[in-house]
Amino acid sequence: MSDALPCVLFVDDEERILRSLRMLFRGRAEILATTSGREAVELVRSHRVHVVVSDQRMPGMTGVDVLREVAACSPPTMRILLTGYADLDAMTASVNEGEIYRFVEKPWDAQRLIATVEQAARIAMDEFDAQASRGAEPMAAKPAVTAERAAAHVLVLDEDGAIAAQVRELLPPAVAVTRAGDLESALEALATQNVAVMIAQLSSADGDVADALKQLKRLRPAMLAIVLSSLRDSRLLLGLINEGQVFRFLLQPPPRELLRRALIAALERHEALRTQTRLLRRHDVEAPARAPAATISARVLGAWRRLREATVARIA
Amino acid sequence: MTVAPHPALSANLATPTQAPAQRDDAPIELSTLRLPTPPVPPDTCVIDVAQLFLDANYAGLLSLPIVAADGAPVGMISRYELMRVFLQPYGRELFGRRPISVLMNHAPLVLSVETSIGDAARAIAQHIRSPITDDFVLVENGRYVGTALVLDVLRAVEGRLADRSTELERAYVRLKSSQAQLVQSEKMASLGQMVAGLVHEINTPLGYVRNNVEMTRGVLADASQLIVAQQAALDALLGGDVVADAQARLDEVETLRLRVDPAALDDTAALLDDTLHGVGQIGDLVINLKDFSRLDQAGAQKADLNHLVASALKIANHILRKRGIEVVHQPGELPPVECAPAQINQVLLNLLTNAAQAIEHERGRIVVATRAVEGRAMVLIQDNGKGIAAENQARIFDPFFTTKPVGEGTGMGLAISRQIIEQHGGAIRMTSSVGQGTRFVVVLPLRAVVREAA
Repeated sequence: MSDALPCVLFVDDEERILRSLRMLFRGRAEILATTSGREAVELVRSHRVHVVVSDQRMPGMTGVDVLREVAACSPPTMRILLTGYADLDAMTASVNEGEIYRFVEKPWDAQRLIATVEQAARIAMDEFDAQASRGAEPMAAKPAVTAERAAAHVLVLDEDGAIAAQVRELLPPAVAVTRAGDLESALEALATQNVAVMIAQLSSADGDVADALKQLKRLRPAMLAIVLSSLRDSRLLLGLINEGQVFRFLLQPPPRELLRRALIAALERHEALRTQTRLLRRHDVEAPARAPAATISARVLGAWRRLREATVARIA
Repeated sequence: MTVAPHPALSANLATPTQAPAQRDDAPIELSTLRLPTPPVPPDTCVIDVAQLFLDANYAGLLSLPIVAADGAPVGMISRYELMRVFLQPYGRELFGRRPISVLMNHAPLVLSVETSIGDAARAIAQHIRSPITDDFVLVENGRYVGTALVLDVLRAVEGRLADRSTELERAYVRLKSSQAQLVQSEKMASLGQMVAGLVHEINTPLGYVRNNVEMTRGVLADASQLIVAQQAALDALLGGDVVADAQARLDEVETLRLRVDPAALDDTAALLDDTLHGVGQIGDLVINLKDFSRLDQAGAQKADLNHLVASALKIANHILRKRGIEVVHQPGELPPVECAPAQINQVLLNLLTNAAQAIEHERGRIVVATRAVEGRAMVLIQDNGKGIAAENQARIFDPFFTTKPVGEGTGMGLAISRQIIEQHGGAIRMTSSVGQGTRFVVVLPLRAVVREAA
């Protein structure tokens, strides 16, 4: 990390929030602040902004709108939503369209917010530096179709097999699609195969699957998770964002085209992560708020152990 | 003496009419009331027909059918007509031997067996004369199949009416309970929306209040350390301690001074001002919420309508602000209005929410005005939103009617609002033009008899 302070942009329609945040980050960052979403996007276009922290509910442009545009015009900029209340639709959009790094609730914990923003800023600074040394090559350039990419592996955790069949049909034949009927067999598959994208159906908010996805993101940061669920549970999604960096969250049943686009985007992102490991840090996660082991059965734990060993072996 | 059934008809009349076996939902047909009365040929003499009326089997019949050899009914002879003839001097001698066709009613009421009871009742009402002297003839494909009694039709109609009214009563009870459920779910839906907004409204000031307090605490901790160190240094200097010791204390003061940013201390005042403002805002919201729900006040009371409007505006603030809508609030002089404030609040919030949702552009403007007009209080809520299509205007107060996407509106909001206003003896009116906006006017009498709401 260079000595220069990172540039952080705060967006909130309440001036007092901006004043308070400005004070909190004084000396820690170069601060930009605005009450207007439109102006925020302009600032990101005209300045090198490392982190954008935006409220969701604002007149004119919503936070998700702002972050979506930021993602489009400045991909290295890290995006954080800081909001007093967001309905599930806004949260879903923040994942799927804003690809946010963290979702933070108001009132926030000052020390944790500082840590989160500083971590995001370090990642963005490295990215901007790498981009500068690489020249004008944009980060999100579509990787060429390589042999490795053609051999990409998609794992579907799906009890009845309907989603797996749909995924198989949506993807080119060169992409291997494996179906696992339960978590244990999914973990076995993960231990033996190099899975690029995992699609998981979530039917309960506190089940093993959500915990496993969070753990997996720590073990295999390059693996991207697409979660399908009919649960309209914003707590669940909050956990999946901050602790699991879920790549896409789709309400069930997912429209065909949406699922297809999510799959393609995930495969492309995986390829980018595989070839540019620096980008992996953009997907790093918070420690889970609670230990998952208590709910996981012994059989699943055994599969976990093998998976860990396999991961360690691969890294070594 | 008996008359043999017409040979052509004997087959038809062999089976007696079955007891009416009807399903509740099927319309009852006349066939269920059919009596297999043996028909009388037109050439039967009057004396013989009179004899038939004396037969106990025919005691319940007002009239007998006269049927031609081909099965076509040609008339009816009534007990009444025969009595009229026989009561005349020499009537029996003059007419006794003549064929019945000279006395019969040539235009009896003839109905198909497939006629419904309702249609039959209508036909009878048109055809019948007082006193009732005739029953009527049943035909199938134009051929005689029996007779039916006017009295039986009346009984069937009466029975059917009783069934209908029981059914109606049941439907009414069902509707009433499902309406109560809907009112409840509408209340829950608007409550959910309100809670979401309030959570945001409260968490925003709470966000900076907490942050400011945390920062101020940090600054104060450093500052108080500095004060303690300065005091110690001062004591050391004044107490004539060893110079080295005093120097050490001064050095400590110097280090601490670097940590305490004077700018941060200056800012503390502003932070605390904001904090007070935020706490005040949260307090206002809580008071408003309490006012709004009137949890502690039930029933009718004299209320300041302007106060209710202001409180509804505050509650709806998150929706209005989120959409960047300018609110023009024009409260007029108003005497107190007798009403159930919680219910009026529900109406106002509903109208404000609808107005906000109707605005899909960025120059949103909602005018909220109150006025006293001829012993009544009037609230006007006007938006510059998309307006209501002409074909929908008549239906907006109907229960279940909604133009919002599935899941966003129960279609009960305005229906309940109207119910509430009418229960107050008031009225709610709407004018709208597409692309221009919509205006709702609520008029309340100053003294209302508030009935218990549903």
